[in-house]
Amino acid sequence: MSGVSRRDCLRIGLMGSAASALGGCAKLANHFVEHQYDSALPAGKTDETARLVQRLTFGPRPGEIAAVQSMGRITYVDSLIRADEKEDMRLQFLLNRLDVFQMDPYDTQDLPEREVLRQLQMAAILRAAYGKNQLHERMVDFWTNHFNIYGRKGLAAFRKATDETNVIRKHALGSFPEMLKASAHSPAMLIYLDNQSNVSGRANENYAREIMELHTMGVKGGYSQKDVQEVARCFTGWTIERRFLHHRWAYIFEEEKHDNGVKHVLGHTIPAGGGKQDAEHVLEILANHPATAHHLATKLCTYFLGADGEKWVDRTAQTYLNSKGDIPSMIRPILVSDDLMNSPPILKRPFDYIVSSIRALEADTDGGEAIQTHLAALGEPLYQWPMPDGYPSNTGAWTGTMLPRWNFAYQLASNTIRGTEVNWPELVRENNPEKLFELTHARRAGSQDRVLLQKLTQEMSHGTKGYEGAGFLCLASPSFQWR
Amino acid sequence: MSQDWFSCTENKLWQALQQAKPTRRNLLLGAGFSLAAWAGTRSSLAELKVSKVGKNRPHDVLVNVFLRGGADGLNIVAPYFEDAYYRKRPNLSIASPKDRRSGVAARLLDLDGKFGLHPSLAPLLNFYREGKLACLHACGSQDATRSHFEAMAAVERGLAAEGPGPASGWIARHMALTESPTDSPLRAVAFSGTLPDMLRGAANAVALESLADFKLNTPEDKQIHFEKALLDLYKGDKDEVAHAGQETLAVLSSLRKIDPKSYQPSNGAKYPTSDLGNGLRQTACLIRANLGLEIASLDRTGWDTHFAQGSTVGILPLALDDLGQSLAAFATDMGSDMNHVTVVVMTEFGRRVAENSSLGTDHGRASFMMLMGGGTMGGQIYSKWPGLEDHQLDETGDLRVTTDYRDVLSEVVKNRMRNDNLSEVFVGYQPQPVGLTKPI
Repeated sequence: MSGVSRRDCLRIGLMGSAASALGGCAKLANHFVEHQYDSALPAGKTDETARLVQRLTFGPRPGEIAAVQSMGRITYVDSLIRADEKEDMRLQFLLNRLDVFQMDPYDTQDLPEREVLRQLQMAAILRAAYGKNQLHERMVDFWTNHFNIYGRKGLAAFRKATDETNVIRKHALGSFPEMLKASAHSPAMLIYLDNQSNVSGRANENYAREIMELHTMGVKGGYSQKDVQEVARCFTGWTIERRFLHHRWAYIFEEEKHDNGVKHVLGHTIPAGGGKQDAEHVLEILANHPATAHHLATKLCTYFLGADGEKWVDRTAQTYLNSKGDIPSMIRPILVSDDLMNSPPILKRPFDYIVSSIRALEADTDGGEAIQTHLAALGEPLYQWPMPDGYPSNTGAWTGTMLPRWNFAYQLASNTIRGTEVNWPELVRENNPEKLFELTHARRAGSQDRVLLQKLTQEMSHGTKGYEGAGFLCLASPSFQWR
Repeated sequence: MSQDWFSCTENKLWQALQQAKPTRRNLLLGAGFSLAAWAGTRSSLAELKVSKVGKNRPHDVLVNVFLRGGADGLNIVAPYFEDAYYRKRPNLSIASPKDRRSGVAARLLDLDGKFGLHPSLAPLLNFYREGKLACLHACGSQDATRSHFEAMAAVERGLAAEGPGPASGWIARHMALTESPTDSPLRAVAFSGTLPDMLRGAANAVALESLADFKLNTPEDKQIHFEKALLDLYKGDKDEVAHAGQETLAVLSSLRKIDPKSYQPSNGAKYPTSDLGNGLRQTACLIRANLGLEIASLDRTGWDTHFAQGSTVGILPLALDDLGQSLAAFATDMGSDMNHVTVVVMTEFGRRVAENSSLGTDHGRASFMMLMGGGTMGGQIYSKWPGLEDHQLDETGDLRVTTDYRDVLSEVVKNRMRNDNLSEVFVGYQPQPVGLTKPI
């Protein structure tokens, strides 16, 4: 991740450090007795079906929670896990217009980089907002961050569309080992983590380290610095085609740049002369490693269960090993569990927040530059996180940007975002505050909801003129920040 | 810092905010508890002995510039007296100050006959010569994972290495242990999109990118109306988002008093238009506005130079151009007020001594630090230099850490921030003073 540009110092904030165990709690206990504290998470219980929909989708659209209620959760989850619904014509039409998914990656270089990033983000926003296979879109969000690629590194942006299609979207609800393999062969990844210049004699460790630390085993997975160096040797010669009249930018293996000596990786001996097979072997070792199972299980459980994820980690890791890394097998038990329906709230990341607003108000968006500007202001311009760990998922990383959220909320509600429109008369008939409230807030018992309802009634007493203020307060309210 | 911040009590919204806000200590402890509630772990903030340092102690404004990505100390403050430096970096090393084979502009700027400053940092040379800038070398943490995230987490949490220990940031703990003269919501400002780990758990800390743009974008005549409405919505709960919302409203209220757009730097200082330049310019604006700023946190990325690092042309020199110009502009702008400011420049780790195959360097161990300000005894290099020959490096071929970063920060906390409670800021550590700052 060299070549990181000026803009990015903004984006590097919290580098997720897990909350850690502490000793000596006697003093602490006293504090608890002395004071009545609330928790880090909001009080009040969220409707269970609403929680289910919030976790499996980018937020409920009007009427969706009721529909899921009558369908039953098993049917609902299974329909989403299959992810085989054809996208509707309008979405398909909009996506078909995007050059980056139509052209050969090498040819996309004729486009300016910002145009490529604009189209990539547009596709992501449109799919998350309108895609029928919502769970698939959620998993795409998860894996896009897991196999993060920084679009402003070198020419990575121009390869990202292919990576998105062949690595992330193809395997998001499929086999992890296959996704890992696809990622290792992905020109965007080889560029982003410098493996294109990893050659015999003077290895570049960047990819070798991150594939173990972030993509598979996790930083506590039990590998050593020596393992990193050996894995780097295995990956020497994995690069991209640059020769004239060849399929430029395709993955290639350059035999003459490969270190053909013996290597020792995580207790396995990789014999001399293995060529391309060396790294293929490494990919198998990593995919089958129990630390990988544990690392992925931890991330997936947290993604779906938030702070309650821990108790599902061991069995999910076991499922990974038993199913040879089958992602649906890992997540289905979580998705149909009562634990998910009762799990504590998770703060929406900016992408979640913006897309869930669009869905809740059934806004019509082109996913274009104007809304992307908001995404950046909230701190999550897609494909633009420079570090290989992807956008952070902890609450503390995002509470610093409340104001940009509110400003987005006001602009969306007042229809001042170019290319995005809320059809208020259609959406809130009869000028009913309760109806508006229901669009953004599942029933909860919190006192804040009563305050919000009062405010909505106040705003809407001005007639249709009051919709923008009311809509703003719904989206800007504290409870809409969580899912 | 001045007390005039309180004049804003005339503002009705502010009064409402004051009532809505739990006391600062409760807020802190509340936040501490909250982390614990769901995660089953405890925040150390709640564990602090709550004997605070007095309100009216004089202290510096701390400006922390974090170079994210692992900055290559060996090319920034280069040990040109080491043959091994040139042997192990045939392409990346920078010519020594007296090397006639290179143009003057491509040579190191001599600091002490052994180390030289990267030519891109030329704007800082005078500050060094005037004794206002000190460089440290071979410093770092005990974290040997060479993972950005582990190393940053360790340093920002104030630990030897990532692992057990308080989850809160070291600056957040310093803030919890000291009284703010004004209880300003702008006590700590991170000029970034997100709050950095070193401020995790801090009350009165806000992340923002632009002071001028920090306003609600409703029609102007409705701003107060909507801010009040938001306050009613946010004041009821005590979770992290509710806190953040209340803090944001308090900041909106206090920033109404200043006009950052018309801020004119003093002494002819010219800030680059980079994010770092803008951040430091706004830091200066806040300091001058007397809004109770104690801590400014700024990030600068682009240091993870595995590829095309370059010696005097490349990714690193470009980053250093920005760093040097930004810091110089800030110090020039502050003028004699720098006597009450301490700037700390740090990174999570340094880079491998030997260059890699991509004209870059891989993750290493020890790196450099810089301190700037009136209280800094500058004009020197502070280093227990371990050497660059193979037998002097660690088993991976990296520069050894001989000065713990906490030794440096402890001194700043004690001498310049006037907080003696180091054992709570850097838990479980006995700092060895480096002797590079004067007590206030």
